[in-house]
Amino acid sequence: MSAALALARGRLSLVTALPFVLLAVLVVLDVSLQPALLSRDQIGIEVATAMSLVLVGLGQTVVILTRGIDLSVGGMMSLTNCLLATRVGSGTGSLLLWCAIILLVGIAGGAVNGLLIGLTRLQPFVVTLATWSIFNGVALWILPSPGGHVPNALISLPLGDWAGIPRMLWILAAVCVLWSLLRRTRTGVQVYAFGSDPDAAFLSGVSTLGVTLRVYAFSGLCAALAGIFVATQTASGSPTVGAPFILNAVAAVVIGGTSLFGGRGGFAGTVAGAFVLTLIAEVTFGLGINSNWGVFAQGLLLILAVAVNTGSELVQRRREERR
Amino acid sequence: MSVLRITDLRKRYGAVHALDGASLEARSGEVHALLGENGAGKSTLIKILSGAVRHDGGSIALDDRELRIRSPRDAVRAGIGTAFQELSLIPDLTVAQNLFFGREPLGRLRGVRRGRLEQEAAALLEQLGIERIAATALVRTLPIAQRQLVEIAKAAARRPRVLILDEATSALSPAEGTWLLELARRTAREGAIVIFISHRLAEIRDVADRMTVFRAGVDVGAGAIDQIDDDEAVRLMLGRRVERLYPPRREAVGEEVVLAARGLTLGTRLAGVDLDLRRGEILGVGGLQGQGQRELFNALAGATPARGRIELEGREIHPTSPRRALAEGIALVPEDRQREGLLLDLSIRDNIALPVIERISRAGFVDARAETRMVAEVAERLQITAGSWAREAGSLSGGNQQKVVLAKTLVSGARVLLLYDATRGVDVGTKSEIFTLLRELAGSGMATLFYSTDLQELTNVCDRVAVMADGRIGGILAGPQLTEENVLRLSVGGSLPPVAAEAVR
Amino acid sequence: MTDRRQWLRRNQATLLAYAMAIALFLVTSAFAHGFATWNHTRVLLVQACFIGIVGLGQTFVILGGGVDLSVPWMLNATATLLTLWCHGQAANLVWVLPVLLAMAVIVGLVNGLGVTLLGVSPIIMTLGVNGVLQGALLLITNGGQSPTAPHAIQQLATGNVAGIPIALLVWAAVALIAWLLLSKMSLGRQLYATGTNARVAYLSGVRVGRVTVLSYVISALASALAGVLLAGYVGEAYLGMGDVYLFSSVAAVVIGGASILGGRGHYVGTVAGALILTLLAALLPILNLNPAALQVVYGFAILLTVGLASLRLGGT
Repeated sequence: MSAALALARGRLSLVTALPFVLLAVLVVLDVSLQPALLSRDQIGIEVATAMSLVLVGLGQTVVILTRGIDLSVGGMMSLTNCLLATRVGSGTGSLLLWCAIILLVGIAGGAVNGLLIGLTRLQPFVVTLATWSIFNGVALWILPSPGGHVPNALISLPLGDWAGIPRMLWILAAVCVLWSLLRRTRTGVQVYAFGSDPDAAFLSGVSTLGVTLRVYAFSGLCAALAGIFVATQTASGSPTVGAPFILNAVAAVVIGGTSLFGGRGGFAGTVAGAFVLTLIAEVTFGLGINSNWGVFAQGLLLILAVAVNTGSELVQRRREERR
Repeated sequence: MSVLRITDLRKRYGAVHALDGASLEARSGEVHALLGENGAGKSTLIKILSGAVRHDGGSIALDDRELRIRSPRDAVRAGIGTAFQELSLIPDLTVAQNLFFGREPLGRLRGVRRGRLEQEAAALLEQLGIERIAATALVRTLPIAQRQLVEIAKAAARRPRVLILDEATSALSPAEGTWLLELARRTAREGAIVIFISHRLAEIRDVADRMTVFRAGVDVGAGAIDQIDDDEAVRLMLGRRVERLYPPRREAVGEEVVLAARGLTLGTRLAGVDLDLRRGEILGVGGLQGQGQRELFNALAGATPARGRIELEGREIHPTSPRRALAEGIALVPEDRQREGLLLDLSIRDNIALPVIERISRAGFVDARAETRMVAEVAERLQITAGSWAREAGSLSGGNQQKVVLAKTLVSGARVLLLYDATRGVDVGTKSEIFTLLRELAGSGMATLFYSTDLQELTNVCDRVAVMADGRIGGILAGPQLTEENVLRLSVGGSLPPVAAEAVR
Repeated sequence: MTDRRQWLRRNQATLLAYAMAIALFLVTSAFAHGFATWNHTRVLLVQACFIGIVGLGQTFVILGGGVDLSVPWMLNATATLLTLWCHGQAANLVWVLPVLLAMAVIVGLVNGLGVTLLGVSPIIMTLGVNGVLQGALLLITNGGQSPTAPHAIQQLATGNVAGIPIALLVWAAVALIAWLLLSKMSLGRQLYATGTNARVAYLSGVRVGRVTVLSYVISALASALAGVLLAGYVGEAYLGMGDVYLFSSVAAVVIGGASILGGRGHYVGTVAGALILTLLAALLPILNLNPAALQVVYGFAILLTVGLASLRLGGT
């Protein structure tokens, strides 16, 4: 949808189109390798596989839009995942209560990042590197080795369908709608403004602390959601479950075309990026080759995407300077 | 009727008193001009009024009610709208989003109503008479003059009680300038206070009712516009000139061309510059700001290579990086010494030795004794007063900092010196020392290219002055022709008076 | 102001770090019996040398204004490939070590060129390279167990010469090299200049790109050396053995008084940082704390020192 809009405004660039082209190629490749993937249930499963990354990616998108980075999402995912696997009792009431607590933990952890970055002007990477370590440590403390218990009600959440459409598609749609609502608020505009030009945004009345606090708290919330959701996939808790998501969340955002210089991009690209990364792993499976090629390709794709991303930005800047 | 009363405002940046007890009084219904040289404290005052920085002392009152401005938001709430010289527009938002930033019309679920926003913006642009700018255009895509118009519209759109226009005409065409003056007058007529900052006296005569003149962080004069004539205004801005600021010029300059440029081209900024710099000469570069002077200096110094031919002592050279230029003996004193000239956190010694650190190393090891000797030599020659060369460069005064930058070029053994606005923010005493040094260096054969925004400096320091316009050398002035008036004439694209042209032949 | 006061001002963070290391050592030995013996101190020092050596590379990169997040899998890769290719045979070291060395240089070059030529932010570039290394290593090992390290390497990491652990001697040697590079050689001056303000350095004729790339190469080499030593120390390699060095290397550098913004600090400080982190790790079991607390401690150590540094700089 975002691609269509961009096209309509006549500023479709390589960077905006790239994730969707990549995604289309991978879908075609994957389906031709494994035609069974096109069934309704399989589509639901595919979306469920990518969902955790989509969620962390949502938070990371917003952070990167403000020229920041949140490395602590991996630690926060592990932490919330361990909380879920160790604290939730058998009843639905307990599940709901703990989910609420976990989401609050995510917001609070993210708010700490935001406060430290906004108040002290420390670089985001060093603050979130430190809190990543802290969240990781707490996760290990709560659950030293993989295990714990995930209630069945949660595990069955992604399965089945509503009104003939896989439940996961509904959930994905809900997240996208949530984004489009948020982005239209004044805060949404401020986030873009702050990323586009922090000085001009400040002069226009944007509070640096206010934006930073909200953005990182939101990222923490998204990581906590992902920590809960990933339990539906693994059916247990793990103190290291979040580790791969740090790289992949950044990769999803960058492949999705959000500018590392802030202010440009959005969630639609990130969703595409997350599916691209998920499908790469699928394709290696379909090709019957070592699945570790997937991990390798994911890292490589990040570097390539970031090179394209940065390169196109530099070219555009040079062009504007010449004007 | 409301009154803006600024009393005894103070602001310090480190050791520099940007505002040292400045006062200003402006009434509603008037356009109030604020005048002063670069560094007089005008922009600091604007920054304080608009909430960008906080003041250290003094008070700001509107209608006898003290204003507490701690952020740009406070300023807007207090009814102060500012069109910033450096623009406060968000490049990745549309014109409409920028015009109504922070007060967008909201619909259900607190979402911004885009259609309504664009309608209102279009209406506003039309009402202001600049409807040729599309409300839906991204600011990033607009040319600089149109951005300036949007910035003005953004400040005016809130109908502020105090409207500040900071050098707002600088990027505008004459027609757009007229539009702005009309806007300022109308806004004042409607009961607002308009603070108008400009360098162009004619413009101020045209629009302002009263004026206040700043010098060195203090208000040195104020009154109705017809009470202060141009000479008086200039006299107030400049104060009493320090005598003997400029060393005597040498009588004869050698004929040998050290550095020659032919057809230097860079995008639209440099449109074929030809230049001859002779041995022992100080060649000034003048013109309005942004006519390609920066690009010319950067091209010669290797910082932004341009197309064309550069010859050093008759031999073609290719300064593709500052490193190469330095190796050829071409050294640049860059525009912004804090950001481009000095490593503020490192010692004076480290700074001075940096350009030659490889030359004074053997097998990668720095020869500490040679380094000390070298640093001591130039530091003494330049009379850098620091107490210790281990002191951080950032802790020095502006004048001494600039001397350290000059010392860097001297140790590198430069034969060609490129000084880009090297005297900005430097105290008068140090300025005089720098000029004497430049003359001394010229006496020993140094070829110097000297850019300054200060006409008086250009005409008093330089042997010849090349005036740039539109990326070209518009003309070269020397001898009796070299007057402030003539530099200004060439700058604005005029021609020289026939008598002066005669005198040269 | 005298030179000596200048020196004190510039190095106050480093001096503080050493004071803290000594204080920690004294306090801990007061509580724990047998802590302050030479035998135990020796063990502690050897443990500190791994952080110390990885931190050496990190120091160079951070001084130059970057950061190297590819440390964990660089270390993993070296340790794993060493054991895998040697098959326990010391004779194989003749070709394995040079290959590993070359690999480290290549990884450093990729990091550095990505940052300088492509203009990618160091965080993302090195994070990506970390991912690629992880993928490549998983491909090679297929996630399986690798054989034990050759005896010679184990000897290198655990042996003693005249009562002094060989690993410590290795650390001392590389520390000396680092000190020479930073304090005595033109490269050090250019690195500080680049980290303080790359634009000024460039305009002053410093080959900023080359200096930056070199810092990443040094970092990769340091991680590789740590990987070799760690494989010998543990006796084998396992995936994930490098994970903790990401945090601890950055922590050691900032605790040692370096500015995370670049241009300020010294390896001498990082050594103190490595000692402090090792002492804190040794303190946890004495305080009956869960080993998981170590990561929490690392995190707080980074936050605290970086926060204090920013307050100190902001105050002046």
